[in-house]
Amino acid sequence: PVTAGSIVVPLGHVIGNEKWRGSELAQRLQGKVRLIFEDGLGLVDFHLPNRTCILLISEADLVAGDGFKRRSVKFRNASSLRGIVIVEKTPISDQYYLGVQKLVVLELGMVLLPVANQGEASQLIIQLVSFCVREQSRERGSNPFVGRQRARPAEPAVLQALQRIPGVGRTKALLLLQRFGSIHRLCNADTRELEQAVGQTAAQQIYTF
Amino acid sequence: ISRVPGEHSPSLCILADTRQICSGPEVLSCLRAGHGLRVQVCSLGSSDYIVSNRLAVDRVLQSELQSPGNRNKLSQRLQRLQGISERICVIVETDRVRPGETSRCFQRTQHYDGVLSALVQAGIRILFSSCQEETAALLKELALLEHRKDAAIQVPTEPEGHGRDILNFYLSIPNLSYGAALNLCHSFGSITAVAN
Repeated sequence: PVTAGSIVVPLGHVIGNEKWRGSELAQRLQGKVRLIFEDGLGLVDFHLPNRTCILLISEADLVAGDGFKRRSVKFRNASSLRGIVIVEKTPISDQYYLGVQKLVVLELGMVLLPVANQGEASQLIIQLVSFCVREQSRERGSNPFVGRQRARPAEPAVLQALQRIPGVGRTKALLLLQRFGSIHRLCNADTRELEQAVGQTAAQQIYTF
Repeated sequence: ISRVPGEHSPSLCILADTRQICSGPEVLSCLRAGHGLRVQVCSLGSSDYIVSNRLAVDRVLQSELQSPGNRNKLSQRLQRLQGISERICVIVETDRVRPGETSRCFQRTQHYDGVLSALVQAGIRILFSSCQEETAALLKELALLEHRKDAAIQVPTEPEGHGRDILNFYLSIPNLSYGAALNLCHSFGSITAVAN
């Protein structure tokens, strides 16, 4: 069973499943992050800060059959934590990769990251952990991929939109904006009002548009 | 529009950016010929593909994630995309080995892992593909998935004449995706109806 949905991992720490003690992966992690081993983590191989769990699928798991699939599905059903599946994608296990990706990413909606060996896996985990640290220490929004909502002035956009109306260039767009102020009011204007702002022909064009 | 009659649901439609004609010709032809999808090439600007009403897909080469030089460009692009689209997926495609070139060994850099971490934290879905054919297959899977969730693009994707002008008008509204603009065209009789 999955255990401990409530494990809280301090920043910069990783809690590893006892079965990884002494492995190449663990050795490479030590010194870079604070690694603590714990028994009975169940399905999860590593707990990272930020409510993230790592399931590791080795080359051998992939080749051996469907065990890892059951494991991912069980994890998904049992836990509300974010699951990252790290899979060893080697020349031997390559052929299974697409199937795994379809299951894990498309069907289960989890994250899947391929690595070539345990060494790369450790590098990746270190980056995942240190990313959390960086994000916490700086003010929020240091993630280059999280969009910051900037309030942009609407007027230039309105002006551009108006110029998409056939027969309206920059000058007429400015005139229209001055007189009506908003697209909403422009839409509800009748031909006479439009004629007062721009010429007769253009007014007719705008009205039909 | 190439519409290949087949057992696939004919309404499955993907919008592709015009730049993909150069950078991913095999993706496009696989989608059309191999999977029988309706592929509409239009100038999306913001993303490489639009798979459903809410999902935009960007195709990046693995080498682009390797070097820090591309970081700004990529992050600006994805940030803008996040303002526009509800869901974002990045397909990381292995670079093609050109004939005569020995297969370069992929050296995993710290920067690459860092970018992946950032993408994961930002909630952007990542898929890995080893070639253009696989990318096409992934796009199709995504389209199917979104279709099952009732988010598929189901409006005509090629308005003509007056409809074209109106579409252009909607496209100039900031943070409105191409798909959303199409939907506006389709569900409202006129711009006045939208404004009110």
